[in-house]
Amino acid sequence: MAKAFKYGLKGITGFLEPAERDLLRSLIDDVISMLQPEERDGQDPLAALIGLDMDVAEPTDRAVKRLLPNISKNDDAASLEFRQLTERSLRETKIGALRAAALDLDKDEIVLTPEGAKHWSMALNDVRLVLAERLDIRDEADAEHVHRMQDWSQAEDVESYLALVYNFTTWLQESVVQAMLQSLETRR
Amino acid sequence: MTISVAPGPDTREGVRTGTAESTDSLTAPDIPWNLVIWNDPVNLMSYVSYVFQSYFGYSETKANKLMMEVHKKGRSIVAAGSKEQVERHAVAMHGFGLWATVEKASGGHGGKTGKSGGPGQGKGKRG
Repeated sequence: MAKAFKYGLKGITGFLEPAERDLLRSLIDDVISMLQPEERDGQDPLAALIGLDMDVAEPTDRAVKRLLPNISKNDDAASLEFRQLTERSLRETKIGALRAAALDLDKDEIVLTPEGAKHWSMALNDVRLVLAERLDIRDEADAEHVHRMQDWSQAEDVESYLALVYNFTTWLQESVVQAMLQSLETRR
Repeated sequence: MTISVAPGPDTREGVRTGTAESTDSLTAPDIPWNLVIWNDPVNLMSYVSYVFQSYFGYSETKANKLMMEVHKKGRSIVAAGSKEQVERHAVAMHGFGLWATVEKASGGHGGKTGKSGGPGQGKGKRG
């Protein structure tokens, strides 16, 4: 069984079983593949290099849209324009955090630097946002319903399995965040 | 908990990324925009508070107050400044996975929480 992350002399440390690490690695890989920008023919390589993407459109997949939200609630044109300037680099920021977290999954015992813990919390958050879309979590009541699913022996279908995975990543993120808050507190 | 030190977070941001700041002030002086964080059922309350503390340098008290406002009222203005400043904050919030938008401050509501006067500003370290 995984042990919650905690803040101590060595920094932020946690423990994960090989199966749990495999699970996290595949979840992270899934999110990375969703965030990978498509390479299109005739794309201006220089524009791509500096992060511009004039052909970008608002994502159609709800989960991707939640990861890369519009900057304006009501102004779609302004949102699209902003997306052209920033979406590519936002994708890269997220992929960077996800890759960094995946690299820490090589050992059972996980020791995180402050920067590493930040990447973990960001990566787990993105994984949870994607799982939540797949589970159709739209409001607090849906979240509560999913949260009640705690028994792995009940996992009979894809949805209950996803719910258990979601609850595991929630628990793990909460423990990373509590450890980070404690380290912030100590540094003050 | 801590003594309020105006000006608020925008100055801190300016210190951190000084180069962008100087041009901003030439082109967009004093046009108030708000950074809005929206509630969603996924993000952990502790995580949202952590992001407010670590990114904006807000005190735990202030971060928790804003987080509770997001949770209970559905949204909260967590920072204010020029359009460029709040857009930069919004991208950072999207990086953290928070649901953030920017909007022009409307008369009377603008900068309610992002300006001076909030408790415990200026305390705490980034990163």
